Amino acid sequence: MSIGATHIDHIVISSNDSAATAELFATNLGIEIKRTMSRPGTRAHLEFAKLQEVVLEFAGPGEVQPYDEVKARLSGFVLAVPDIDAAVAELRSRGVDVGEPHAAVQPGAKLAGIRSGTNGVPLALIQYGALPLPAGEGA
Amino acid sequence: MKAKKIDHVGIVVKDLEAAIATYQSNFGFEADRSRGGAVPAMGIRNAFIPVGESDLELFESTASEGPVAKFAQERGEGVFMISIEVDDVAAAVEHLRGLGARVGDPSPAGVAFVSMKSTHGVNLHLVQRTPAEPGG
Repeated sequence: MSIGATHIDHIVISSNDSAATAELFATNLGIEIKRTMSRPGTRAHLEFAKLQEVVLEFAGPGEVQPYDEVKARLSGFVLAVPDIDAAVAELRSRGVDVGEPHAAVQPGAKLAGIRSGTNGVPLALIQYGALPLPAGEGA
Repeated sequence: MKAKKIDHVGIVVKDLEAAIATYQSNFGFEADRSRGGAVPAMGIRNAFIPVGESDLELFESTASEGPVAKFAQERGEGVFMISIEVDDVAAAVEHLRGLGARVGDPSPAGVAFVSMKSTHGVNLHLVQRTPAEPGG
């Protein structure tokens, strides 16, 4: 059996200044930052670029603290699945520790973190179109 | 320079065969046995697991020195690097050097390593999978 993962949906690059890291990657790699997000309450500033089917997510604090240098690291990735509830049930049946699916920052998407069975890789599942879109956020 | 896609995500593991079995058992992923194996020059064994248009590359260190061995000693297992496919790796290296980045010369296999000092600490590789187009 398979959880039906179709592709790597996004790779998370964490940084103490996500805007600076996103700008560096955009400039050096010739990629475009498609979306930025600093939602009140999340205490995070996110920037997103897309390389074909994979999103690069640059994640950092909402309020950048003074620093000597920008420090970034690869902090994990997310697999796209067509049915997150079925995928989570499948993983749990194999003894994998998976969090309960919840609304992701991506509109209409549900996300579930995987806490074991990944060889040390912070990994999560995402399903798009799993929730109604918030008013005013059409596809 | 134009980045084309994420070619692969590199993951350092302690035991390659056990990790392949874990990813197969838990996620249903199958390793592509036509690729990978021992790479003595890099002190690793590796395996590729296709996921969509990209691969997961699992690394096991077989040496006491080198980047993979260092990562394994300091952090154990985890996400090690990302590799981005470009149309023309030589042109990409030239472009990045023009921006002040430190980048190694491309290998005969079309791979270039970008210094982590030029990526805010992210381990980033560039790879060219097809011959560059004339004039491109």
